[in-house]
Amino acid sequence: MNDDTANQRTTAVFELLDEAGASLDEGTSRPLNERERRLVVGAATFHALCKPGRTIRLTVLRGPAGTPLRLTDRNVHRIEWPDDCEVVGSMVLRSTARPPAGSEPGTGLIDIVVDVGGPPVYEHIYGKRPTLFGHGRRMARFLAPIPFDALRQYRTDLLERQLRATTLARKPAVGLAHGITGVPGDRPAAVLFGLHWLELGGAERWALDTVQIASAAGFTPIVITDRASAHPWITRPELADAVVVPLTQPLDPGADAEFLNGLLANFDIRGVHIHHNTWLYQRLPWLKAQRPELPVVDSLHILEWRTGGFVDIAVRLSNVIDVHHVISPALRDYLLGRQGLPAEKVKLATLANLTGPDIAAVDRSRADDDPFIVVFVGRFSQQKRPYLFLQLAKRVLRTAPGEVRFVMHGEGELRNEVRSLCVRYGLSEVVELRGPEIPVATTLAEADVLVISSDNEGLTLTSFEATAAGVPVVSTDVGSQCSLVATELLCPRHPYPFLQAATKSVVAMMTSADLRKKWLEEQLVKAAAFTRLTDARSWIRELYQGWMR
Amino acid sequence: MDALNTVAAVVVTYNRKDKLGTVLDSLLAQTQLPDWIIVVNNASTDGTEQMLASYTDHDRVIVHTLPENAGGAGGFAAGMARGYELGADFVWIMDDDCYPNRDALEELRVGLAKAEESMGMSLPYACSVVKFIDGEICEMNNPGTTWDWGRLLARGQNAVLVTHCSFVSVMFSRCVLTRYGLPLKEYFIWFDDQEYTLRVTKHAPGVQILSSVVVHDMGVNRGVNFADVTAANLWKFRYGVRNETSFRLHHQGVGAFLKFLGRLFTGTMRGNVPWGLRIELFRKAVEGVRFNPKPTYPHSVL
Repeated sequence: MNDDTANQRTTAVFELLDEAGASLDEGTSRPLNERERRLVVGAATFHALCKPGRTIRLTVLRGPAGTPLRLTDRNVHRIEWPDDCEVVGSMVLRSTARPPAGSEPGTGLIDIVVDVGGPPVYEHIYGKRPTLFGHGRRMARFLAPIPFDALRQYRTDLLERQLRATTLARKPAVGLAHGITGVPGDRPAAVLFGLHWLELGGAERWALDTVQIASAAGFTPIVITDRASAHPWITRPELADAVVVPLTQPLDPGADAEFLNGLLANFDIRGVHIHHNTWLYQRLPWLKAQRPELPVVDSLHILEWRTGGFVDIAVRLSNVIDVHHVISPALRDYLLGRQGLPAEKVKLATLANLTGPDIAAVDRSRADDDPFIVVFVGRFSQQKRPYLFLQLAKRVLRTAPGEVRFVMHGEGELRNEVRSLCVRYGLSEVVELRGPEIPVATTLAEADVLVISSDNEGLTLTSFEATAAGVPVVSTDVGSQCSLVATELLCPRHPYPFLQAATKSVVAMMTSADLRKKWLEEQLVKAAAFTRLTDARSWIRELYQGWMR
Repeated sequence: MDALNTVAAVVVTYNRKDKLGTVLDSLLAQTQLPDWIIVVNNASTDGTEQMLASYTDHDRVIVHTLPENAGGAGGFAAGMARGYELGADFVWIMDDDCYPNRDALEELRVGLAKAEESMGMSLPYACSVVKFIDGEICEMNNPGTTWDWGRLLARGQNAVLVTHCSFVSVMFSRCVLTRYGLPLKEYFIWFDDQEYTLRVTKHAPGVQILSSVVVHDMGVNRGVNFADVTAANLWKFRYGVRNETSFRLHHQGVGAFLKFLGRLFTGTMRGNVPWGLRIELFRKAVEGVRFNPKPTYPHSVL
């Protein structure tokens, strides 16, 4: 075991007794790549915490590409596996975890079989619906994307009205003054984080920032995820000092209490920070019953009218959460005005990370004969509606006063559909598709306007990036996009009015450089006002430092 | 969250530059200054714009000029939306002939906070006592009270609970705009204030702070009465009848609608209003049956 691994194990709750094939040491030749190794360490940590003192024999499998992970769920006790899974290692560990107060370490061997899955693949959005209905939906959207989307938006209107008219019921607060489990105090101070998954995303970027801030403040970050994923970000440097446990569900009955008890017994948890993790949200009342003094904060990013989303869950559990951190004024107003939460429980702190760009610094002149470049930057997913952008391209081409080109920069489950629609609409010559291998900054540096066609957003980081690059943004009027986008460039969410308004704005910019400059100026003024709001990083740093005292 | 303490005062003006200056001076002389004073210029044609130019140096004054006259309802909706977008925690709205006493805003703030504490709930708005220039009560701007209007008086507070009031010095909390939206700009003029204040008191009453006083410098101190309809003022009553019909029918039910029609009928009869005007008003009532605008919501910008 090298030094790095030894350091990492200072918070480890198991020791390795024997291994064959797969190795958990960093930097050694092994059949597991770094992502897989960290997944196995996560699984070992979970089982060691659940079964203090026990010896665990871990058989490590790797299924074919796209196989879901099997790390902590009840299936890990099955010692048979499908034909297409290969065995990549076996190891014996002993749990060195301290048992909860009043109980003794267990003895004996437990057999666990984990599967690290194959290489991550993009799951096609309708792969989840291999039914006739799912197939029908996919065909309808491909053949008539705009009417299909119009129907979706009417449904959203209905749900939005319902949700706006509803005050959500709340779980009662925990009325205990102190916890009953006394544990010795020589454990590492820690912050418990709940994340959705370890994949690319705005919420995840912020979550990893907070993990890093906790680390820098002297805490051991404990990161739990609850969503099925290959967790490509598990190798990120922000997680180097963290105890990471990617849960796969459903857990064995009772395993959730064993796991949380294990964490409470082995770490001096000073606070909980939830970033979109349903599993941890749902266990907060229990956690508060054991440790009523434990501060709990959650970060909320986006209102989801269709499902209520995490905001809905957060409101229901608000009585066991001390502070709701929101990243946008729209969310703050929803929680205060619509759900009636007290002002002291809601903290608006932004992720803008802008330093107030000024018009002179970002205004780029362009030659009259340069083509006008309209860009889309984002995941090719239903939420972002790339097909609307293609329709917009069609319309702009028809009325454009000069040469125009379009760039679609992104990746995602709708990429094949985007390619096919490009051909079908006859746009192959004017639309360039770019993948993640090209930096977004390169695309924005070439852009004359950025179009955001999403049907739901919080406040897109792309809008901030565009502002910093001096690119005006035309956007649907959703979430808090109005905090940054010029008022006249906000377009309705419904597809037909969106296409009409966005086409008009893009063509107007092509026609009048002054108009484009006026809108960009308004965007910069809004950005400057927005940057004066509390910065999330500074606020969270101060909060964590308070937890350390 | 930081303390809820910023206030945007909103004044809607249309061709009344001789009085508007006094309104703005009264606002700038408040013991507790509003953070923003938003003047919504309803496309005035009497030189209001030039008059306002002398105030634009003041960093608290924001002039919001509408491309066309949107009526009082449209002006208040625009001004309140602007205040909300600026991040105000309260919007305090008034006409362009309303002169607040120096402590009017401070009394509203203090009175509302005390009333909320006493009632144990958030209250949607606080309004002032509106006096005419002769010191009498202003007939047109009396709030309607709740059945238990004296509850706060009994507790030693200088305030009464109300169900609705006019848009002459009333302060709404930001949460009200988030939850209930803006006044209906489609009403254009008349009954927009009643509709809105009744809408926002669905879950809790408003409060009139008796120590917050404003003077309403209107021409004649007279309330809305269908007996007073003349050819000259018919245009206003037309809007009033259409709007109230819509509200009574669509928001309160057929009973309230029929009661209103009865009031319209007896009012015009008592005033011996010419038949042509009466028919016109009933025609507007029929129009109100089909007229049912929906509220819009302001943008959360900051």
